[in-house]
Amino acid sequence: MTKKRTVKRKVKEPEPTNEQAPVSEESENEEDEDLLQAVKDPGEDTTDDEGIDQEYQSDSSEDLEFESDEEGNYLGRKVSNEAEEGEDDDEDEDEDEDEEDEDDDSDDDSEESDADDASATPKDDQPSSSKAAAAQTKEPLIEIIPRDPSKPEYEDSDTSDEEDIRNTVGNIPMHWYDEYKHIGYDWDAKKIIKPPKGDQIDDFLRKIEDPNFWRTVKDPMTGQEVLLTDEDIALIKRVNSSRIPNPEHNEYAPWIEWFTSEVEKMPIKNVPDHKRSFLPSVSEKKKVSRMVHALKMGWMKTTEEVEREKQQKRGPKFYMLWETDTGREHMRRIHDPVSAPKRDLPGHAESYNPPPEYLFDEKETKEWLKLKDEPHKRKLHFMPQKYKSLRAVPAYPRYLRERFLRCLDLYLCPRAKRVKLNIDAEYLIPKLPSPRDLQPFPTVESLVYRGHTDLVRSVSVEPKGEYLVSGSDDKTVKIWEIATGRCIRTIETNDVVRCVAWCPNAKLSIIAVATGSRLLLINPKVGDKLLIKKTDDLLAESPNLDIIESERIKTAVQWSNAEPEEQEKGVRVVITHFKPIRQVTWHGRGDYLATVMPEGANRSALIHQLSKRRSQIPFSKSKGLIQCVLFHPVKPCFFVATQHNIRIYDLVKQELIKKLLTNSKWISGMSIHPKGDNLLVSTYDKKMLWFDLDLSTKPYQTMRLHRNAVRSVAFHLRYPLFASGSDDQAVIVSHGMVYNDLLQNPLIVPLKKLQTHEKRDEFGVLDVTWHPVQPWVFSTGADCTIRLYT
Amino acid sequence: MEVENGEGQVQVHLKTKQEQYAVPDVPYAIEGSVSTTELNIFLNALLQSKGAESVDFDFLVFDEYLRGRLCDHLREKAISFEDSIEIEYVERFPAPEPQDCLLHDDWVSTVKASGKWILTGCYDNTLNIWTYKGKHKLTIPGHTAPIKAVDWISLDDENGRFVSTSQDQTAMMWQWNIASNAVECVSVCKGHERGVDSVCVSPDAQRFATGSWDTMLKIWSAELEDVGESTAKRAKESGVRTPRMTLQGHRESISAVQWMDNNTLLTGSWDHTLKVWDLNLEGIKTEISTNKSIFDASYSKLNNLIVTASADKNLRLYDARTNQGSVVRSTYLGHNAWVQTVMWSITEEFLFVSGAYDNQNKLWDCRSPKAPLYDLLGHGEKVLDIDWSNPKYIVSGGADNTVRVFKSSKATVENMETK
Repeated sequence: MTKKRTVKRKVKEPEPTNEQAPVSEESENEEDEDLLQAVKDPGEDTTDDEGIDQEYQSDSSEDLEFESDEEGNYLGRKVSNEAEEGEDDDEDEDEDEDEEDEDDDSDDDSEESDADDASATPKDDQPSSSKAAAAQTKEPLIEIIPRDPSKPEYEDSDTSDEEDIRNTVGNIPMHWYDEYKHIGYDWDAKKIIKPPKGDQIDDFLRKIEDPNFWRTVKDPMTGQEVLLTDEDIALIKRVNSSRIPNPEHNEYAPWIEWFTSEVEKMPIKNVPDHKRSFLPSVSEKKKVSRMVHALKMGWMKTTEEVEREKQQKRGPKFYMLWETDTGREHMRRIHDPVSAPKRDLPGHAESYNPPPEYLFDEKETKEWLKLKDEPHKRKLHFMPQKYKSLRAVPAYPRYLRERFLRCLDLYLCPRAKRVKLNIDAEYLIPKLPSPRDLQPFPTVESLVYRGHTDLVRSVSVEPKGEYLVSGSDDKTVKIWEIATGRCIRTIETNDVVRCVAWCPNAKLSIIAVATGSRLLLINPKVGDKLLIKKTDDLLAESPNLDIIESERIKTAVQWSNAEPEEQEKGVRVVITHFKPIRQVTWHGRGDYLATVMPEGANRSALIHQLSKRRSQIPFSKSKGLIQCVLFHPVKPCFFVATQHNIRIYDLVKQELIKKLLTNSKWISGMSIHPKGDNLLVSTYDKKMLWFDLDLSTKPYQTMRLHRNAVRSVAFHLRYPLFASGSDDQAVIVSHGMVYNDLLQNPLIVPLKKLQTHEKRDEFGVLDVTWHPVQPWVFSTGADCTIRLYT
Repeated sequence: MEVENGEGQVQVHLKTKQEQYAVPDVPYAIEGSVSTTELNIFLNALLQSKGAESVDFDFLVFDEYLRGRLCDHLREKAISFEDSIEIEYVERFPAPEPQDCLLHDDWVSTVKASGKWILTGCYDNTLNIWTYKGKHKLTIPGHTAPIKAVDWISLDDENGRFVSTSQDQTAMMWQWNIASNAVECVSVCKGHERGVDSVCVSPDAQRFATGSWDTMLKIWSAELEDVGESTAKRAKESGVRTPRMTLQGHRESISAVQWMDNNTLLTGSWDHTLKVWDLNLEGIKTEISTNKSIFDASYSKLNNLIVTASADKNLRLYDARTNQGSVVRSTYLGHNAWVQTVMWSITEEFLFVSGAYDNQNKLWDCRSPKAPLYDLLGHGEKVLDIDWSNPKYIVSGGADNTVRVFKSSKATVENMETK
């Protein structure tokens, strides 16, 4: 900034001289320069002289180098040098110094110096021309036109921003024009010719002659010499002596206090404070409360705390040097890692010079050596040895091996903790409700129906629940009164009674009895007399058979009315089969009944229609030994159990719907849930299988409750109960709740084991049946009894 | 602690409602381990000082019979041993003595006593009339199926009338001339669709009610001449009677019918409910639902309680006055089989008898739920019916073809006089 200012000033200064003769400019410039020099070193005037000599000499020495290159130009050059010498003065000196560096470089390279010579040649021409110019302007050079002090400095223009119109080259280092005759261009784009410069001698002469020489300076812009006025000099002197340039400026003017520093008691202004100023600021309050909250929550800290923390941080820090010994290792990527196993600290035995008691005696040595094959059994993995000094200790032979093993330990050690679920086995057992909450169910044996003389194979209950029918190997069928255990009637048959089934339709009074190869339809003559009579009427008349039956059926089964002596016993219709019947079962409506003859090959299952006295053979091919059949309680479906599997057939479409895989060796019986979606299957291999027909063809649950072959299973019609009878003489009552919600699986809870039957010839319980209304279960056994559990 | 172990002493007050056995009301300190026997000796010693002769007593502690040690009883009832305990003592009900065994040809399904006569119904479809002395008076055939229930309508010195029901779906009303020992079937009541299991004649002898396996409750006229029937003419000639009223409400067989008064009936059914019917409304007044099938129910006018018999060996006590409740007042444990029959004493407020399929009759005090007062042994088979209509005699019939008569010597003079 200061430099710019000075430049500006220089620009402004020469303006008045512009009007004068351009010659004067040159001299003025020269004077200026010298003056500056003088101002810098006022007392070096004499030395200056000497310096000139020295300079000259030094210059010549420089030139001499050039001379060695081109001798012919020597003289002329020297002259020009001399001529220029006076103009350049100090500024040139600075430049020379710069050039010297360059020259030093050029010394190394001869080629470069050649180039320098080439550039130097035009220099040689210049002096000659400048010489001529100098000759022309010699006269005005001596004339020094002092600036008119009477004229105000800024008379013509008071703008400081105005361009220096004396020289239009602008604010550039003026030494760029050193090598030219001109110093720049004036307003009219004409060259401003440098004023002629006198040589050393001229300067010297002027110094001697001109009393104003010391105050003559050169204007660098115009090259003119300027004579400084007394004021200028005084100003320069003041600046040089670090004083304020303006002599009129009073540095110690008296202090005027515009605003008092004292606190006034009364307000300066009379305006009362606004009401607002008495109310606490809402926004501030909000801000404060926010900060208080932040402080409370610990998000923000008070400056005190921050300071304290800083203090603590700055303060001496203690840390556990052996932290890894006690703390847990931090591992990347592994959460809660297992730290590496630590090696035991060396004991006395490992010392190179152990106390004698640690050294092995012979016995210990022998023992140690004996465990060579199983080194892990050794107490110590090495043999303690004693050396006189540490120097005598040899290299440890197992060092590498042990390091390697240690590395293996560390590397193979599982570092992440494997989460082993610690689950109590009991926890995994599904939570079953307590049997007490599932009442009512049979708990005690209440009645024993005695009267049969051989094992009772089958039992069936009247739909109303007052009477009971049983069939036995003593070739009799007995009808009992449930409540008292009284045998009301005994019907003798010709063969072993394998199965009895009371017609589930309460409007009919019929019992189907499978005895030998005959199926008897018996009217038990108990219950409503009207029904008994109706049933008799129904069975007495045989409908007209307009359908001609196929030979296959005719040879398999014949319908006939009972003989008179049998009629008296109650037998109404006899259906004679070609093979012994094993099972008989009713359809829910009581019109159809199905029989099973295991020996009947492809005719082993038959369906009889009571109202039409007609029989059908539903299957043309035998898929296996049929064990038992069952009607679906609601749908027209027919379940056929062979030894291993159960097939479900649609009776209307006459096709196989499903095949249930029991994965058991021999099926003994089955029972369907009254809603028809669940099937229970008993097998001779001690299992009971619960099939959810909607769920899968595989058992939903397999129950191994019995210790021996399960003979029979039965669902209760109303209560969520089922019972199973087995050869281990036990009847097991279980809760089997089927929910209406399809998403909820059936709940099965074994409730009670009822074991009162006696064992006869490896047989226990042969059949189980529920009372149709009460939660009572009947079981028949090989011990000739029927038992009622309530 | 000592007391709880039966070693310490308890302070007791002895009280009685029987004036003749009163002792001074002073506290006695007695051992906690005493039982009825020791208390009896102690009390008799007190009484003997007044010159009375030895009597057996039973002791009631907080309205329950003391059976076993006093300390156990107190602990069970959670009574503090430091309180002074009031023990009420009553003269022990004397043990009924087996008096007679009336042999029948078949199972005796029902038995009813009145005056000096015992009426029994058999599985061989006959009715029999016996005297208490064990003399067989009459065998009445008529039904075509086993008799299930009988009841006396009226009895005087010359004539007796009774009704019998059978599995042949009918009830028959009989008139018996005692002098000539001739019996006549007054009428056959037809209407039930299955066997009629229970019958009861109203207290005013005007009507009788039958409960059947067809779940219906029917009310019949018990008059000799059934009046007010539109079809009376033809019916009268044939002697067939139709029900006055048919009440439907039970879902299963009605096993017990009893009149509570002339217009209220109590029925017990296999459908686990007790129902109280109001005949004026012809509907159900109260229903007590239980969780067991009821085989017999008996109502006592003396204490308004109902005792029921069911298959799970227990007798249960219900309060007839509760509405829609099923709160069991007490459960009487003692039988070890299906309990078939039960009946309140008509003179003793707290006593009832029960018969079960464990071949035993038991005499109970309703304040002693843990053990009966007496076991009445004798039957060799299931007991099917028991009757205590005559306070002097407990009569029971069973599947061993016998009727057993037990003489209840307590038939105290004053009780008999009031009757």
